[in-house]
Amino acid sequence: MPEPRSAPRWIPILAIASLLALASLFAGPERVLRVARGVISEYGARDLPGAALLSLWRMGAAYIASLAFAWVVGYAAATRPRAARIILPLLDVGQSVPVLGFFPAALALFVGLLGGSPFALELASIFLIFTSQVWNLAFGVYEGLSTIPAETRAAADSLGVRGVLRWRTLEIPACMISLVYNSILSWSNGWYFLIACEIIVAGRAQHDLLGLGSVLSQALARGDTLVALAALGTLVAIVVTMELVVWRPLRAWSERFTYDTARRDDEAPGDLPRLPDFGLPSVLRPMRSLWRALTSRLPLAEANRTATSIGQGLGRVWRITRWPLAVALVLTSLGSVWSLVLSLLPPWPREAAEIPLALFLSFLRINAAYVLALAWIVPVALWVSDHPRMLRPLTLVAQVGASLPATAFFPVLVALLVHRIGGMEIISILLALTGMQWYLLFNLLAGVQRVPQDLRESLRSLGLPRREIHRRLVLPACMPSLVTGSVVAWGGTWNALILSEYVVFRQRTYEVVGVGALLNRATFETADRTLLLLSVAALVITVVTFNRVVWKRVYDHVCTRYRLEVS
Amino acid sequence: MLELRGVDKVFTDRKRVVPALAQIDLAVPERQFLCIVGPSGSGKSTLLRIMMGLTPPSGGQVLYQGQPLSGVNLRSAMVFQSFALLPWLTVQSNVELGLLARNMTPEAAGRRAAFYLDKVGLGGYEEAYPRELSGGMKQRAGLARALAVEPDLLLMDEPFAGLDALTSANLREEVLSLWADHALPVDTVVMVTHIIEEAVLMADRVVVLSAHPGRVVADLPVTLERPRSKRDEGFDELVDSIFERIV
Repeated sequence: MPEPRSAPRWIPILAIASLLALASLFAGPERVLRVARGVISEYGARDLPGAALLSLWRMGAAYIASLAFAWVVGYAAATRPRAARIILPLLDVGQSVPVLGFFPAALALFVGLLGGSPFALELASIFLIFTSQVWNLAFGVYEGLSTIPAETRAAADSLGVRGVLRWRTLEIPACMISLVYNSILSWSNGWYFLIACEIIVAGRAQHDLLGLGSVLSQALARGDTLVALAALGTLVAIVVTMELVVWRPLRAWSERFTYDTARRDDEAPGDLPRLPDFGLPSVLRPMRSLWRALTSRLPLAEANRTATSIGQGLGRVWRITRWPLAVALVLTSLGSVWSLVLSLLPPWPREAAEIPLALFLSFLRINAAYVLALAWIVPVALWVSDHPRMLRPLTLVAQVGASLPATAFFPVLVALLVHRIGGMEIISILLALTGMQWYLLFNLLAGVQRVPQDLRESLRSLGLPRREIHRRLVLPACMPSLVTGSVVAWGGTWNALILSEYVVFRQRTYEVVGVGALLNRATFETADRTLLLLSVAALVITVVTFNRVVWKRVYDHVCTRYRLEVS
Repeated sequence: MLELRGVDKVFTDRKRVVPALAQIDLAVPERQFLCIVGPSGSGKSTLLRIMMGLTPPSGGQVLYQGQPLSGVNLRSAMVFQSFALLPWLTVQSNVELGLLARNMTPEAAGRRAAFYLDKVGLGGYEEAYPRELSGGMKQRAGLARALAVEPDLLLMDEPFAGLDALTSANLREEVLSLWADHALPVDTVVMVTHIIEEAVLMADRVVVLSAHPGRVVADLPVTLERPRSKRDEGFDELVDSIFERIV
């Protein structure tokens, strides 16, 4: 979530530079080629159960790593203003850097450290999924911790609540709602990119890890519809099962962590059809009693004291080591920048000339998708504002829609539409739309929900027609959520664009002129490091610049102008 | 018991320095019920937070039992205007929180919490969540939480401001009887309020702050006999004289 923040301007620039530098350091195609020598196994229908398990394991491992990372980083940002000035812009950049840009770097890093074993490839894949899950979780922790009311924080302080007790009773519960919400988003995001993350491409060599994503994309590339459908079915089944067994009960459970003590009458539970919450409670109950039994045996007070002293010790170590660390960091980044400059030196490949045009076309495509998304989402949100009973069902639609990995359907869409009107050009816009619309809908529905009932009633009692109420109350009140959703959706769509400008189906490649296609070609076809770096750089710079120059201003303006005073 | 010597507090808001409190000299003797009144912007709540050790003063000294205060004073406890109960814990767990932080065993903490919940009239509501309680009951829970740590000094930040008139009158009486009950450890209270009548009804002594920045402009003893009522002789005169000093 964008926050009003005053960060040094050089931080995003430094971050981009060092990311690119890292990529260039490790992305030597020759070196990677040696490691993974074109290992493509053919996966068929009988691999599906194993593939499902492996994909689930990868997603789970990446998610746990994301949670740990998000907690540490978000905690640091929320508790230390000085750290926040550095961390928040970094997270922002991380969120807008396309996952695909990390691929060669991640692979070479893990392979370089651990050798070309399956273990290293597995880790690389998990890391890639991690990069698609972690950012919004970290923002979620930050948001949860920094929205603890000042008096609640003061109350915990005045009671002397510290250490583990403070985590357990104040800080983790305070993050619970935004953590659950963002976990759902992260998993959707992970599934969305899973397809790309299980195909490890190293220069001209490719290594497909067994998993749902690789089975699916291989089957589609071969034209094996049956296997593709089976894989797709498995994927959808897993997503739906997780929604029912994990997320829905978790969401219901997390509602107890709201500060809002006054209950709104129209939100009374039970007046809407609900799917049964099976699964999780019966799993959780024994775990809870186990936890109780453990905590009553454990010397909690001592653990608390130890943790506090460890924290203090770490703080001391950090104070001593931060300057050497900073020097080392600066030296490394200087070295990286040097190697970056070296690898960016001309002669540039011929395709490099395409980059400005490709970038421009991609930019147009994104905005087209954005306008299309708004064109159906804003009327829907306004309609929902008049029919509050539809809010829950529609939120459910948005949730399910967001958690189905649209990437899996890309080839199908291509097959259906490619020879119709508009061809690939229209398709890529539609595909980009799939990555964008749910998030916008999500946020706008949340905004509609927050329109105060008494304001609406006062306008109604003044005799304003529905259309005027929309224009004067609902739309302005939704503005902050709309802009928040737009920033994230717009940034995220660059990621989706990379997958949607270049689709392989039945051994044919369909592509349009765009920076996403360029990136893909550099990764999958030519293994051209310079081209890859140039296009990633162009992409990231565009996204970050646009975010800082346009969205941030719009956001600040909207927030000061349209904020509803909450007493 | 608590002494403030030349306490200053400034806040920096976007590189603008805003003084909140200036040169506060104040001593709180034992067994006193002290009320701090003042207009909004006089830094009353800030002063209370400095007494609690939640915020350090920008200048001057805070002495507790003759010792300079560093960090949160665990011998005192605080009651907040917004109740500040953790919504995800039951009333009982909320009250136990401060006891667990003082390394009390769960059994002992449970017993102590139940005792104080009973004292404030919340017996039977142990397993309720704050959202299920009315405003008055939430503040009773907040009071029980503060009393349960058996503080020597109780600090209250506009504790009745979020409640309706009838509830706050009831709760006022109750606070006074808890304070007068010598079986309970709390016998020194500092309360911040913006209602002068409330201060005169409850306090032994009223300190009046001015606004922007907060300075002590009056320090008056209240010698009316307890129990007091708004119809007591001299009540209105005292309220009026305090009111004049604020305006």
